[in-house]
Amino acid sequence: MTEWVSPMTTLTGNLAKARRGLSPGGRGGARVRSRTLKSQTRFTFSAMLIPSVVLLVLINGYPLVYAGIQATHNGSLIEPGDFVGLDNFATILTSDAFWNAARFTLVFTVVGVFGSWAVGLALALLLRTTIPGRGIFKVLLLLPWIVPIVVSSTAWNWLVATPDSPMPALLGALGLGKPLFLADPTLAAITVCVFKVWVSFPFMMMMSSGALASVDDTLYEAASIDGASRYQQFTQITLPLIARPTYISWILMTVFCVNDFPTIYLLTTGGPVDATTSLVVYAYRTVFQDFRTGPGVAVAFLMTLTLVLVSTMLYRQIRRAHVE
Amino acid sequence: MTSTPLTRRGFLGAAAATAAAPILAACGSSKSAGAASSGGGAGGVIKFWDMPWGTQAYTDASKKVTQSYVPAGKNLKASWQGIQWNNFYQTFASAIASKTGPAVSTGGGFQAFQFAEQGAIAMADNVVATMKTNGMYDDLLPGVLEPFHTKDGYVALPWQTDMRVLWYRKSLLDKAGVDVPTDWPSMLAAGKALKQIGVIGFCTGSGAGNFTGNHWTISMLINNGGGVWTPDGQVDVVNDRNLEAVEFMLEMVSAGVIDPGAVGYTSDNMDTQWKTGKTGFGLYVAYLPQRVGDTSGDIRVASPLTGPHGDKTALQFINNIMMYKNTPDQASSEAFVIYYLQSLKTYWQQALVGGIPVFKSITQLPEFTKDENAVKVATDYSPVAKTFAARGTASNANTAVLDGGQALNKFAQSIFTGKGDAKTILNEFGTGLQSAVK
Repeated sequence: MTEWVSPMTTLTGNLAKARRGLSPGGRGGARVRSRTLKSQTRFTFSAMLIPSVVLLVLINGYPLVYAGIQATHNGSLIEPGDFVGLDNFATILTSDAFWNAARFTLVFTVVGVFGSWAVGLALALLLRTTIPGRGIFKVLLLLPWIVPIVVSSTAWNWLVATPDSPMPALLGALGLGKPLFLADPTLAAITVCVFKVWVSFPFMMMMSSGALASVDDTLYEAASIDGASRYQQFTQITLPLIARPTYISWILMTVFCVNDFPTIYLLTTGGPVDATTSLVVYAYRTVFQDFRTGPGVAVAFLMTLTLVLVSTMLYRQIRRAHVE
Repeated sequence: MTSTPLTRRGFLGAAAATAAAPILAACGSSKSAGAASSGGGAGGVIKFWDMPWGTQAYTDASKKVTQSYVPAGKNLKASWQGIQWNNFYQTFASAIASKTGPAVSTGGGFQAFQFAEQGAIAMADNVVATMKTNGMYDDLLPGVLEPFHTKDGYVALPWQTDMRVLWYRKSLLDKAGVDVPTDWPSMLAAGKALKQIGVIGFCTGSGAGNFTGNHWTISMLINNGGGVWTPDGQVDVVNDRNLEAVEFMLEMVSAGVIDPGAVGYTSDNMDTQWKTGKTGFGLYVAYLPQRVGDTSGDIRVASPLTGPHGDKTALQFINNIMMYKNTPDQASSEAFVIYYLQSLKTYWQQALVGGIPVFKSITQLPEFTKDENAVKVATDYSPVAKTFAARGTASNANTAVLDGGQALNKFAQSIFTGKGDAKTILNEFGTGLQSAVK
């Protein structure tokens, strides 16, 4: 009776033999067979990738190409219209509303990424310590991330919108007046950013918890013996050792923030007076409220370009962050 | 037991088939969908898409009305499909572009004009002609059909009006010792008196998803004999009448008559202010007591305000039903629309909608006349009501840009924050609107 051998086992076995040059038939024959095998394997793996690549191109490529057509035409959602070259890009790049949205996007992203990271990391560090009910805290702290944004935005609106809402009422009771958080442009911008941090910190907490779990405790013990303070341990051991996952979480959160539509739209719709209009909200309103498809899609294109650049920069940072 | 080794070629073939299957299926379904949906009606049925104009009870009734339709002669039957307001424009646009859209639909107030501009709307002139022969035309309330008349014909037909009405809470006005406002000075005076007793005078809002504030600002421009269009539909924002109206609205803001939180208020926030008796008066939808669940009779309709130059006006949005060129049979679409308009009274008989009917006969139904507020809106507001198209009469695709666009929202919010002078605010509004219209 012949024992069944998996084709993958044969393939990998042959590969391993080829790599070691141990296949029968002498050394010269081994090299030839090794080259043949490598070539066949490369072909096989490439061919196996083709279906996925085709699907990815169809799923991502088609909308991208179609968006490119829309960005260079003056049409609508129904008809492409006439070719206008880069006119739509020129229109938005000379628009104050676009730059206002770009500025807020930058602020929103910086606060969203670093604010949620700082809170998330602090809580992750706290959860490493032995405290009663740690598991319950973990679950509770995840709630802002888990709860649908429609629900949390309604809750935040209830908290801050009217003079009788809990937050203004509380501040009023403390003698600090009754600030209307969504009525004042500056306060609204702050509120939206804080809301974003609140929604996002659980994600950062989870990422940081995962990263911290990989740090060997003996390093801290050794550092303590050497007389390192807690702060020194944090800056010299913890931060460098979690640098790579931290950069990854920054990249992800940057993408989340720049593309974040519901957090802003559901709480303020970009107001008051455009104070919280980000680029994605601006693009949406331009396409679906002003019905200017070309300029709106052009905004989306510029956003994509910016995101790719920022992500690439941060990705390069990850490669540099390798710690021996 | 014998096992068959999986060859690489076999594996690749299976992988390719798996990958290609959805694509091939998509191509296949696309073709078949195209064939089946030829003419806005799968299988030779008139596809009717309706919006949720009321609660689930309305939706059920609309479905029942459609399914009860028995076409005469060779006319086709109708099918019903509910469409949500969320992203409704995208839903219609993508369906029309892929030729899978409806043959007949309700929708956004100015949707018909937008799709007519893109060549997707079937004009309703034949329906109007039929209505002239069967008495329905004469039954229409004044001013509800004209806004749909364009140079190419009638783009849609009205089925209810969504009026913006001045409401007041009687007990609060009594407490403040003021009469119901009838004009601008008395509105300002009432607001100041209400403020004296710790009540917000005028409730409005332009927060997330709330267009009430936008509507109030436009209604004030119109009430002053202004508006943002010339009679022939050109943008005309910066003019003396509009300037005067904006200056007055800014005065209301600086006097603390308008709710200081208005700029961030959602509809829910406004409902709360009304429900909890925190506001004295304000412009809102025609079914406010029902909306906030107030059965005390304390919330009442005031008469339309008289502007400084004697204009007595109101703002209305005329909800409409439209037909599309993508239909299996235009005559069947028209027959269904006639049937649907004839069936409208059931919605008011069952109190399923909050708008004002467009047919006189429905306003005379006992189920309608028992609501004093609704009758007052129909008798006082409907005759003087104007649309966003004022100073013109017919709307167009640009009216949709004004309605939901960024320029108007920013205009209203600029007024409510009270930052900037009237001319600057109007200039910005004009520039923003001009850049968006075609």
